[in-house]
Amino acid sequence: MLLVLSEAQRGDLGCLQRAGAAAVGELGRLAVELLRRGAAPRACEAAARKLNIDVDTIQHGIEGLTYLLTESSKLMISETDFQDSIHVLGFSDELNKLLLQLYLDNRKEIRRVLGELAPKLPSYHNLEWRLDVQLASRSLRQQIKPAVTIKLHLNENDDQTAHVLQTDPSTLLHLIQQLEQALGEMKTNHCRRIVRNMK
Amino acid sequence: RFRFCGDLDCPDWVLAEISTLAKISSVKLKLICAQVLRDLLGGSMEYEKILKLTSDAKLESGDVKATIAVLGFILSSAAKHGVDSESLSSELQQLGLPKEHASGLCRSYEEKQSSLQDSLRAASLRLSRLGSVCWRVDYTLSSSELQEVHEPLVHLTLTVQDEQRGSTEAVPMAVSADKFRVLLAELKQAQALMNTL
Repeated sequence: MLLVLSEAQRGDLGCLQRAGAAAVGELGRLAVELLRRGAAPRACEAAARKLNIDVDTIQHGIEGLTYLLTESSKLMISETDFQDSIHVLGFSDELNKLLLQLYLDNRKEIRRVLGELAPKLPSYHNLEWRLDVQLASRSLRQQIKPAVTIKLHLNENDDQTAHVLQTDPSTLLHLIQQLEQALGEMKTNHCRRIVRNMK
Repeated sequence: RFRFCGDLDCPDWVLAEISTLAKISSVKLKLICAQVLRDLLGGSMEYEKILKLTSDAKLESGDVKATIAVLGFILSSAAKHGVDSESLSSELQQLGLPKEHASGLCRSYEEKQSSLQDSLRAASLRLSRLGSVCWRVDYTLSSSELQEVHEPLVHLTLTVQDEQRGSTEAVPMAVSADKFRVLLAELKQAQALMNTL
């Protein structure tokens, strides 16, 4: 699968040819840092001074590189496809090899970072429970009414929420039975076949 | 099936760490237990002391943390299920802990068992708590509706601690004499019921 680069992106990356191999190495490092930690304007200025290129060109170059790396990692394109995609930029062979190496070295990490960007459903954190028996109320004395109070702690995008639920023992048993059935589904032939094929 | 695990199988990680516990001398293990118990009871654990105590056994930092975790689990789980120290000692020996280590551990456990259970009881799920009750009795002389009112009025402010949000809320209310009499009577009945339990 080939990557399609727009005019603007080609312009951004075009500066890399003029900058030379050492500069490309430096910009590549900055691009990966940008993906790991976010924008670092001071690092860009320092690089601009060191390489004797103006800051805007450096910024554009890094943005272009970042786009190239994330799109390639996202689509998990093969080496040949990557080489064909950047061939259109008309870089020297040495530069092409450098870019390919940059892609292959950082692919796994970039994919990991991209994986964390997907929206997440609230996930289980902790469960507290309590078993009570209601013996009497204002309206009725001499009762025996057991109840289970549950506090479910969830992690929602680094936010902790808690939900308080109450149920009687028979509903709780039904709940446990349903959950055990759900776990049991993993052992059916159908699920086993899918899991085997995924591995 | 172990009683201190709540009549369930012992977790694999606990089994794995029993051999680490055996590497420490039984005297030092008892002192480490004392530190772990302090932490479980809400005090502060002195990690440097534990590091010094485990230095003889040449444990790595991962092993030290595992030791603290295993001791914490054994002690709190035994307290949770109300296991007496004799049964705990025999069950730990069944898992492979040497006799002196088990008896040292269980002696520390026995001393602090009821305090542990008290602190676990206090940590149990609680939705809200009554903080305090403030009251004031007024006597209404007159109002815009009626010239001679002459009615007593009770102002109550209940301070409620919401465990869910961790905040304190003040609930003020004004209660007429009749309503207050009913409230008091019902609460006294509830109190009598609680005393009979």
